[in-house]
Amino acid sequence: MSSSLTCTRLTLFTVAAVAIQITGLSFFVFGFFPVKPTLSGDSGSESFRAPMCYANQNESERDLPPHELQSLYQELSGIPPLYDQLILMVIDGLPAEFVLGKNGRPPTKTFMEAMPYTQSLLANGTAKGYHAKATPPTVTMPRLKAIVSGAIGGFLDVAFNFNTQALLDDNLLGQFSKIGRKMVMCGDETWLKLFPGLFMRHDGVSSFFVKDTVEVDKNVSRHLSYELSKNDWNLLILHYLGLDHVGHIGGRNSPLMAPKLMEMDEVVRMIHASAMMSPEDNKRTLLVVVSDHGMTENGNHGGSSYEETDSLLLFIGSKSHATDSASVISNDVNQVDIAATLALLFGVPIPKNSVGIMIPGMVDSLKDMQQLRALQLNSWQLLRLLQRQVPGFQCGSHPCDGFSGDNGYSGNGIMEKFCRLYLRAAALYDSWISTELSRSDSREDKSEIIAAYYEFLISANQWLSHKATDKPAKVIAFGVMSMILSCLIFSAVLYSIIQKKYFGEKRLSNGILTWHLDEGFSLSVIFILVISMGSSSMVEEEQYIWHYLISTLNMLLLRKTLQFFKKDSTCGLFTLFSGHERTSLRASSIFTLLITGRILRGWHQGGVNWTYLPDISKWLEQSGTDLQLIQLTSVLLTIILCLFSLSLLRRKTKIILVVGFNFFMSGLLVLHHIVKYRHNTSVPSSNAATSLAQIIYATLGITTVGTALAVPWVMPIQTSNVCSSDHAVSRPFKIGSQSQHPELRDCLYITGWVYIGSWCLLQLLLQQPVNTAVMLLILVQIYASFLFFSKGMQQQKQWVEVAVLYYIGMAGHFALGNSNSLATIDVAGAFLGVSNYSTLFSGILMFIITYASPTLLLLSMVMYISIKNLDIAASTQGADSGHVLKMTLGLPCLVSLTVNSILLIAYTIVLILMRNHLFVWSVFSPKYLYACATTVCILIGVFIVAATVTYAHMVLALRRNMIASINETR
Amino acid sequence: METEKKEMTSKASPPVSIAEAFFVHLICGLGLALAFLIARHVYSADLISDPSRTLFLILIVECPIVILLYSRYRTDREQCSYLKAMARGILGLLAGAIINAFGAIVLGAPIGAQYLLKTLNWSLVMSSFGVVPSACVFGSSWMDWQRLFAYTKPNGTIDHMICIPAHGAIIGAWFGAWPMPLDWERPWQEWPICVSYGAVIGYSIAMVASLAFSHARSGLQHVKRD
Repeated sequence: MSSSLTCTRLTLFTVAAVAIQITGLSFFVFGFFPVKPTLSGDSGSESFRAPMCYANQNESERDLPPHELQSLYQELSGIPPLYDQLILMVIDGLPAEFVLGKNGRPPTKTFMEAMPYTQSLLANGTAKGYHAKATPPTVTMPRLKAIVSGAIGGFLDVAFNFNTQALLDDNLLGQFSKIGRKMVMCGDETWLKLFPGLFMRHDGVSSFFVKDTVEVDKNVSRHLSYELSKNDWNLLILHYLGLDHVGHIGGRNSPLMAPKLMEMDEVVRMIHASAMMSPEDNKRTLLVVVSDHGMTENGNHGGSSYEETDSLLLFIGSKSHATDSASVISNDVNQVDIAATLALLFGVPIPKNSVGIMIPGMVDSLKDMQQLRALQLNSWQLLRLLQRQVPGFQCGSHPCDGFSGDNGYSGNGIMEKFCRLYLRAAALYDSWISTELSRSDSREDKSEIIAAYYEFLISANQWLSHKATDKPAKVIAFGVMSMILSCLIFSAVLYSIIQKKYFGEKRLSNGILTWHLDEGFSLSVIFILVISMGSSSMVEEEQYIWHYLISTLNMLLLRKTLQFFKKDSTCGLFTLFSGHERTSLRASSIFTLLITGRILRGWHQGGVNWTYLPDISKWLEQSGTDLQLIQLTSVLLTIILCLFSLSLLRRKTKIILVVGFNFFMSGLLVLHHIVKYRHNTSVPSSNAATSLAQIIYATLGITTVGTALAVPWVMPIQTSNVCSSDHAVSRPFKIGSQSQHPELRDCLYITGWVYIGSWCLLQLLLQQPVNTAVMLLILVQIYASFLFFSKGMQQQKQWVEVAVLYYIGMAGHFALGNSNSLATIDVAGAFLGVSNYSTLFSGILMFIITYASPTLLLLSMVMYISIKNLDIAASTQGADSGHVLKMTLGLPCLVSLTVNSILLIAYTIVLILMRNHLFVWSVFSPKYLYACATTVCILIGVFIVAATVTYAHMVLALRRNMIASINETR
Repeated sequence: METEKKEMTSKASPPVSIAEAFFVHLICGLGLALAFLIARHVYSADLISDPSRTLFLILIVECPIVILLYSRYRTDREQCSYLKAMARGILGLLAGAIINAFGAIVLGAPIGAQYLLKTLNWSLVMSSFGVVPSACVFGSSWMDWQRLFAYTKPNGTIDHMICIPAHGAIIGAWFGAWPMPLDWERPWQEWPICVSYGAVIGYSIAMVASLAFSHARSGLQHVKRD
């Protein structure tokens, strides 16, 4: 039955499953988190020219002083700015329904009465109100970005820019500051994070205390009269948080809601009265009232329901526009339209990634020609984006030249449609321009051109924004299916191995399928994790789960150990400790595991909610302990521990001396680096420090790779043993002897030891000083668990041991201060030894730092195999090399792969189920990125382990054959 | 083999009828309820408002009850008087408290001066639930301890009476710790409030379960005898 699963087939199955998993994962990731190609840089004067294939950046423009740039823009655009001043009043969380009503019906009476002034402005046409549809995630920072940049960002954009909160993409505020406009901000300090140093004056309030609904807005309004009278700014941003807080406390129908709306109405009245009705120096002011998102009935937001995405947009201008019958288009717009509209109104280039379309009815006071020009500029902007996003969207010297018919264009239908629409509008516009002088009344023509332009703009806008937020269901389903398939393959292969391994033993134990508590628990660890991942709080606090479960598992192992204490003795609790050296060794190693685990848990108060609680790392930093001392102690202890464990190898050869010496030298180099350069952190990267770090990398790398490659070749083979291992003679010895493959065992021991040691030294160099002791503790845990396993009993299932190692690795990952939020990634260490900035190298270092513990545990599998597996492999049957490999490598690799694939598929399904959850972007998606990175880490680790063991085995087999053939010829 | 076992159990512990077991458990349960009542009405405190005092009350009500009740079922009646059994129950209380405190801290109970009293009281209560009955009945007989706690193979009514409630308290406390890291901002998420609740609930359920087990087992034996 299961004997049909030979080594080759096993390898094939595993490799296939890994390939399927990688394919499925990448399909899912790129389906779920669409990556939109964004254009870097800012829009300049080229945005007033027709899009070309080859961007001809006007370099001289960069050096222009602001006012010259402003006049250049004005000259090029052909549209005089309609306004001089802009007041952007952001009311956090105000649903448009409160002001504008829903489905053509006016808002409820309470809300109507709460905002009398605004309603009167709306009624007499001074104000224009729109439902501005926001895109999820409906939380403040991404919404503000959308408002000012007009771009729809994907989640991965957020993730890849986690380090910089400042908005680097082209945006309205940047454009304003380029032409020398002065800006003032009062309100939510998110603006200050997004635009550091951009504001002339600012007063940020924190949105931290959600329970405060009054002070938070008073702090904004207190500056208002001063700023209005000062009047030296061009852009005033007011961000009121109170209404969002009211919603969070009491929901939409909170009794506090009407007073809050009244307060907002009062602010609108004040601004309108002072800044617009009585302009002192003929400044034309535009007041834009926007809300960043709406709220649900309960006052939450973040998801994509109508209530949350229905945000408000009010234009309150100083002139009352005559309502133009030609532009009666529905008042549903998109939030991203704000940036494009304001850019056109204020005569700045439309931000580079803006997908917005000019809001109809806002430029009515312009001349016909200028209105059409604004539409042309807007459509050029979208055309530029289309060109970028569709590689086949080629064009000649003139946009869309050459494929007015069907010649020369071989793209898909959508592109053809866009082209047709654009060309039609452009042709109408051109003919209108050429005949404009000769005709007097062109009203009908004009409305036709406007309609043509809008047809293009709307379809292009929809296509562009769907491309950014749509989740292609088929791609996602394919990805999930592949991952499930690979998970099933892993499980099936693992099951067959385990079944084969323990088939004989089960027969012996009366045929009863004995299911021990520790086995059941190590399985249920996975299921508890999977279940807990459905709750956002548990995802935030995952470190507690890992620690709790691994401690419980260790206690269960302790209980199992106690079962073997002194069965013969009937009395005396205190005589235990004298007996059974083996069992007491096991018990003490378990105690070591438990105590070090507790220290590791207390090292970093990770997660989100309890970070303020005291922990060891905070205590060390605050008490003024010399962290360098801790670092030095950790390095010294690590070196001593490693050398001691190397000396435990039963066979003494010169190889050990050489390897140990190499290791010792690299350890001294690390010590030297710490003593010399970490001492003065004020000078972080001198040249010497960088080159020393590079030397350490090189030394560690050469030692590790060299040992792994060379040791199988130079390991002395006990020829006598090999010669006598003929069929007849060796049979009885096999069971009695310690191992059938002493060379392989010793060879793997040395290689695995070098892996562990080098990795630890590397981490001691890279990690923060506080974390060096954590690495030491994890190393102690590894050795303690090895001690525990090596004194193992037959009842101990091997897959439990591998699972314990895997769990220790994950618990250690969190003990190093990592969490499931992207904020805890240690960026500082990633630039150690990097002379010139390289994203790839720094990224690799960041990965090494973040995944220090899981990788260490995976690398330790080599040593584990040497300690454990060879005896089992030898004691079963047959020295067929494939069989040996299968027995040694199969379990450690497959258990890690299977556990990881189960967790990965579970997270995937949780993410799909939670796609409309409030915290999908803040909690679940970062967690998923971590899960993906863990998968990469596991795959790399397993590959290294498998490659090392296979290589050593092959080389030794080759050498053994050679020796045998030499002996025969002799 | 079976007769040998029966002989062993009959020699080891005096036969306990289901009714007797029921009364023992009933008194234990009533003691628990009494402790909560005293805390509520005399000190107007409960586990949430004053966990330390409430746990202490549970201890001083429950522990004497347990020691007095279980010392009657001591196994080695020839060598061990009732008083001696009570004495070793008190010793077991202290030793068990140390083990329980170690277990709780290893599993993540906070360490600090403000938690010292809570942890101490909690571990004493846990010890009186789990360790004290066993100490009173078995003394220092390693075989019995190992049978009950390392193998969990209770054998006979008295074993059930000791083993199942002890495990119930531990498992209840284990599950009770789960809400602690959540961000619900409830006062009872503090150590050791929900853990104590879990332990008390687990202990109470397990007492009922132990009666059910004993009943089922004795029924089975009746059938076998027939």
